[in-house]
Amino acid sequence: MNPLALSLILTTLLAGTLITMMSSHWLTAWMGLEMNMLTMIPILMKTTNPRSTEAATKYFMTQAMASMMLMMALTINLMYSGQWSITKMTNPVASNMALMALMTKLGSAPFHFWVPEVTQGVELTPGMILLTWQKLAPLSLLYQMATYTNTNLIYLSGLLSILIGGWGGLNQTQLRKILAYSSISHMGWMLIILPFNPTLTLLNLTIYIMLTLSIFMILTNTFTTSMSSLTLMWNKTPAMTIMLMTTLLSLGGLPPLSGFMPKWLMIHELTKNNSIIMPLTMAIMALLNMYFYMRLIYYSSLTILPSTNNMKMTWRFTNTKHTMTLPTLITLSNMLLPLTPMISMLE
Amino acid sequence: MKVINLIPTLMLTSLIILTLPIITTLLQNNKTNCFLYITKTAVTYAFAISLIPTLLFIQSNQEAYISNWHWMTIHTLKLSMSFKLDFFSLTFMPIALFITWSIMEFSLWYMHSDPHINRFFKYLLLFLITMLILVSANNLLQLFMGWEGVGIMSFLLISWWHGRTDANTAALQAMLYNRIGDMGFIMMMAWFTIHLNSWEFQQIFLTNPKNTTLPLLGLLLASAGKSAQFGLHPWLPSAMEGPTPVSALLHSSTMVMAGVFTLIRFYPLMENNLTIQTSTLCLGAITTLFTAICALTQNDIKKIIALSTSSQLGLMMVTIGINQPQLAFIHMCTHAFFKAMLFLSSGSIIHNLNNEQDIRKMGGLYKTMPITSTAIIIGSLALTGMPFLTGFYSKDPIIETANMSYINTWALLITLIAVSMTASYSTRIIFFALLGQPRYPPLTQVNENNPYLVNPIKRLILGSIFMGFLISMNTIPHTTPQMTMPPHLKFMALAVTLLGFTVATELNNMTHNLMFKQPSRMHTFSTMLGYYPTTTHRVLPYPSLTMSQNLATTIMDSIWLEKMIPKNLTTMQKTAASLVSNQKGLMKLYFLSFLLSITLGLLIAL
Repeated sequence: MNPLALSLILTTLLAGTLITMMSSHWLTAWMGLEMNMLTMIPILMKTTNPRSTEAATKYFMTQAMASMMLMMALTINLMYSGQWSITKMTNPVASNMALMALMTKLGSAPFHFWVPEVTQGVELTPGMILLTWQKLAPLSLLYQMATYTNTNLIYLSGLLSILIGGWGGLNQTQLRKILAYSSISHMGWMLIILPFNPTLTLLNLTIYIMLTLSIFMILTNTFTTSMSSLTLMWNKTPAMTIMLMTTLLSLGGLPPLSGFMPKWLMIHELTKNNSIIMPLTMAIMALLNMYFYMRLIYYSSLTILPSTNNMKMTWRFTNTKHTMTLPTLITLSNMLLPLTPMISMLE
Repeated sequence: MKVINLIPTLMLTSLIILTLPIITTLLQNNKTNCFLYITKTAVTYAFAISLIPTLLFIQSNQEAYISNWHWMTIHTLKLSMSFKLDFFSLTFMPIALFITWSIMEFSLWYMHSDPHINRFFKYLLLFLITMLILVSANNLLQLFMGWEGVGIMSFLLISWWHGRTDANTAALQAMLYNRIGDMGFIMMMAWFTIHLNSWEFQQIFLTNPKNTTLPLLGLLLASAGKSAQFGLHPWLPSAMEGPTPVSALLHSSTMVMAGVFTLIRFYPLMENNLTIQTSTLCLGAITTLFTAICALTQNDIKKIIALSTSSQLGLMMVTIGINQPQLAFIHMCTHAFFKAMLFLSSGSIIHNLNNEQDIRKMGGLYKTMPITSTAIIIGSLALTGMPFLTGFYSKDPIIETANMSYINTWALLITLIAVSMTASYSTRIIFFALLGQPRYPPLTQVNENNPYLVNPIKRLILGSIFMGFLISMNTIPHTTPQMTMPPHLKFMALAVTLLGFTVATELNNMTHNLMFKQPSRMHTFSTMLGYYPTTTHRVLPYPSLTMSQNLATTIMDSIWLEKMIPKNLTTMQKTAASLVSNQKGLMKLYFLSFLLSITLGLLIAL
């Protein structure tokens, strides 16, 4: 792509999200969302092939429909209350409609269908942006309107997301799809904690983004998109295989890795609020995710599969692709747990 | 005049001498040949020394207690090591030592080719020591130590030839049946701790608490296990798998006597409790009859003698049941002599006939083995209560007292039948093993001219003839015996015995050359030991074991641990996973889902 166009597109993408996050007026927020969505489409179609075009179309249709719904909700709210403040969605119809529109943008169940398909249809880097940066704008809006949202809807959608994220990933061999389902279940965790402690949602989002970025970057490094190519990763980058293993364990929420921290804090917060069954159910359903992460770990680093190996000992060659951010990200996504006491500053 | 009481000192000396051979095994290699002789000599010296306190007791009638060492205190329960040297222990200890001495000397001949003979002697000695601990104990804890000690040592000795399956199962049977009895013993100990807070005999008997039925029932269960009373009896005939000296020791002065002895110890509590007395009486009567019936048709010489022990134990129980503990004790002492002798003589026969135990393959031994034959005849006569032999002095008073007391007539009747049967099976041994023509292989070298074989038997012959008189002369019965009675009651014991002898002799003579086409049902009942082992060891456990196995494998392993949880979960997850990820890229359906969800969501809001 033309570098000039690409830089313009990327800055617009960033600007859209930032506008949404910074505005307190629904109209500007909505505007930022639209900018974001429209610039995302060329990014998704970076390599022009039918798959990515299809994916971009699906993305566009879903997001446009969600934006339309959001606009409708805003109008209803304006009709009943006469104001555009994000934090004051007092009308329940408007609030529910806005909530569901934003859930669609986030890709939580039962509005999740587009996520695996769009992610699978695009390249790794656009997929990475789709599953990380694109969550910021809708979640920041949800964070602001959390007071007036219907909690039952949130719980329902959250639990369903965790479950579907778990079940969906079980049957996959494509890594992007697996990561998409993983994203769905993480959205579930973030949604459920939203009515209790919105700050934890942000914390979880931060950690989730770091973890997903690390995994995507590792996979980009070796152009790995399926489980069968994952089995040959040890041949190229043995050290990174181990890093992938720990990062996946962290993504699954295994102590003493970073991914354990938000889950721990969330379960703690929920039990503090006398909710016992829900965190228990969530933790049990998270085991499904853990299972397919374990499968990835098994294929990547715990076993050597009898697959055809046509590139002997490539790990001996010097790696020319140096990614400066990756070591930092991996360190952060694995070793943040001891810093948990610092979280009290967030609250 | 300064009187020095020598009873405790000499008794302790005697006991300490016994422990010396054990200590030598700790200090030196016990592979030396002299260990056997050291052990035997130690027992001899212990016997000689223990005679002095006994004679002193007979002369002065003074009992003694040794209570020096305070062992420990648990809360308020004081546990001390103390010995009770009263009539029972002072009389029984020299007897036990004398018999063990004889048996050890006999073992020198019988076990001479055994590679582990040193260990065998050590076990015999430990067996004796634990029995003496039991006999001299002055509190329940010490008694229990001796009790368990004889149990363990009998387990080790019965399974001496542990290469044989039968020996192992017999030892296990002894262990398991005794465990059932031990539950009663422990229950009794617990009861006394709760209600009297003491395990000392003096305190227990002094307090003489009311409602002792429960602990005494526990004691009765314990004694029934140890003394092989009906219900817990099958281990005793099985224990014949052990070497013959072990059987001799087990049946004469240790192990099986422990049960009866403990009951005798507790007679101060039992004499006021009619329930227990009746239970003991009935249990004893059933045992004596049942085992006598079983003994009638056995062909294994050791098994006949073993079942006769069981029958005599039943008789002792009957005696305790009619509130005559002293008589039971005398019978226990006299029985020890002739039973040990019978076993040693049968050991002599078995060894000389190249390990042949079947009486049908013996015959005519009175010519080749005169001393053994004499011993068997004297032992059998003493066992049946022939006048002026040892058995007479205990058995005759027992039957007389039973006849003259107001006891259960059925119990008395079946006891009399059993007494008559005693004569019958004794006749059978004499008839088949000693009389007639030899039926053993002609090349068998029979030789009983070994001092280690002959001397113990000779000593026991003397005991079997005179000891009854000596013991009964020096025993004061607990309750006054009936002195006058009609002649038919006076001669009852003798009459039933003679009847048994006559009938058995006639039947044996008549049927010697007859062959059953097929054995009669009663005959099979008797040879199969009343089907009791078959029932309790096979029929009853089988369904419960089968059911347990099925429950464990089917319900637990197969259904719960495999099908219900893991497989069911797997199937559920697999179905759900394929349902959830079964997307075909149909945007219309996704929007329909959105439409439905948003409609429902708005309905909630409205």
